[in-house]
Amino acid sequence: MNRSSKLSKVYLALVFIILYTPIFYLIFYSFNSGGTMSSFKSFSLEHYKAVFADTRLIMILINTIIIALLSALISTAIGVIGAIGIVYLKNRKSRNALLSLNNVLIVSPDVIIGASFLILFTMVGVKLGFASVLISHIAFSVPIVVIMVLPKLQEMSSTLIDAALDLGASKREVLSRVIIPYIKPGIFAGFFLALTYSLDDFAVTFFVTGNGFTTLSVEIYSMARAGITLTINALSGLLFIVTLLLVLGYYFVTNRTKNPLRTGVPK
Amino acid sequence: MTDNTIIRFENVTKSYDSATPVLNNVSFEIERGKFYTLLGPSGCGKTTILRLIAGFMEPTSGDIYFNGNKINHVPANERQVNTVFQDYALFPHLNVFENIAFGLRIKKLKKEEITRRVLEALKFVNLEGYENREIVEMSGGQKQRVAIARAIVNDPEVILLDEPLSALDLKLRTEMQYELRELQQRLGKTFIFVTHDQEEALAMSDEIFVMNAGVIQQSGTPMDIYDEPINRFVADFIGESNIVPGVMIADYRVQFGGKDFECADKGLSPNEKVDIVIRPEDLEITTVDRGKMTVKVDTQLFRGVHYELSTFDKDGNEWLVHSTKKAAVGEEIGLDFDPEAIHVMRLNETEEEFDKRLESYGEENHAK
Repeated sequence: MNRSSKLSKVYLALVFIILYTPIFYLIFYSFNSGGTMSSFKSFSLEHYKAVFADTRLIMILINTIIIALLSALISTAIGVIGAIGIVYLKNRKSRNALLSLNNVLIVSPDVIIGASFLILFTMVGVKLGFASVLISHIAFSVPIVVIMVLPKLQEMSSTLIDAALDLGASKREVLSRVIIPYIKPGIFAGFFLALTYSLDDFAVTFFVTGNGFTTLSVEIYSMARAGITLTINALSGLLFIVTLLLVLGYYFVTNRTKNPLRTGVPK
Repeated sequence: MTDNTIIRFENVTKSYDSATPVLNNVSFEIERGKFYTLLGPSGCGKTTILRLIAGFMEPTSGDIYFNGNKINHVPANERQVNTVFQDYALFPHLNVFENIAFGLRIKKLKKEEITRRVLEALKFVNLEGYENREIVEMSGGQKQRVAIARAIVNDPEVILLDEPLSALDLKLRTEMQYELRELQQRLGKTFIFVTHDQEEALAMSDEIFVMNAGVIQQSGTPMDIYDEPINRFVADFIGESNIVPGVMIADYRVQFGGKDFECADKGLSPNEKVDIVIRPEDLEITTVDRGKMTVKVDTQLFRGVHYELSTFDKDGNEWLVHSTKKAAVGEEIGLDFDPEAIHVMRLNETEEEFDKRLESYGEENHAK
């Protein structure tokens, strides 16, 4: 018993080391004053300086963040409304059909989504750029939000809605005063997940971007193809830190909203 | 219809899909300021009546009146009733104060008035000082009180209670029975209480509606229903009873268990087949030669206040006896009872016919 648990701990540590070593290797060399990742000369921040000196790169970073925030916000709104719609659909068959359609979008490969959006945009005549990237990011984020919000909605007892109606609330007040506050943790989870999906999306963006508009992941890809420079390392390091902050932020927010729902004994 | 009537059901039927209706052509009146109980086994339609009054569903046919106005299609949020739910349905994201204030905030009352009324409601349910607690910090009984406070704070004309005590343990349940009854009398409001617990119904109500299979079997005061059940179902559901088949030989003469007995019923056709009910506490243990009936003791249980004896007569009918006296298992004993203890039930008698028959006895007694 004791030995096996020790063994499993070692295994777990090994898995995490394998997963995280490349990232830390990358970040470690971003501080290398030498130009390659083969030998570490001395500590320097010159690559970070290079990143911040490159205004084009900074613009791309800002674009990426704007796309991520906007698409996460819009898809959260759409996803929440969608999830509520799905849950309170009376017909079970159409409810299951909608749910399946939603889940198919989550499991279908990004390449296919990206390619199909490219076909759609060229057919309709949407200029590839900011708008096309934003629309496609919203599209692949909505199903994620739905999936995050749905369990909370299903867990909510229907008598809560009856009780609110009974106390005189209109349908709108039921939504704003009971349903939305109840599913808030799910909404936050959906928003943050949509944010991270949008931030690190490469495949879909690669297909639908154009007119000189790029996001960070696409830019890093093209920089890496042109030849490795340690600027990429520095950029990746920055991105990693941002992601880490987001995860921490998500953890903090959900923990705070979850706290009052914790099962506790009377004080 | 009197001025005192607050809710009236007229031939109300409710069915889902095309299957047998949950509620079958039900008509009744609810008077102001009384404590009503809808009593019946699960699936008898009692909760359906409550949901129809609350406005969570609409009748398939028939009409519902509230203060004389038809309210079939009035939505729940515009009705002058409030409900205490079985699972309490308290909002977990709000604390005790905000839960109770919910209805008042919807009505957009002034802040001071909300505070005053919420604190008053808390006082009414003996929860002073609990206003800042979170719902998860409250015990089952306390949640129950919050749910009641949330209903009464809106000052509704009718309060509906959907099996509110079923989740509590026995001791707390008995305590809450007293409290609810007392609360109803203090407020003077109409309470409609749904339960499947016959003791609860007998203890708390002014008026009981016994329901089965979507129909009100009998309505009346707890004593009426206990002493004069209309049929086998009611007799069996309310308290323990001995129910045996019998024949009405003539007025005041009934035959069962192979013997003739004197009884208090009349006006039935000669040789009509009937059901006989004798409550276990109306049977008295005596010696074989003194008893009106001879039975053999099969089992004996000590119940604290009394012994519960299961006995069988020659025909194999079981007779349950509640007695403070002891008997020996396997022994033959005599059972004695008053003529009034025999309650005769006609088969398939409607409530109207039943009431008329009972009234005719009363007139006769007055005439004497």
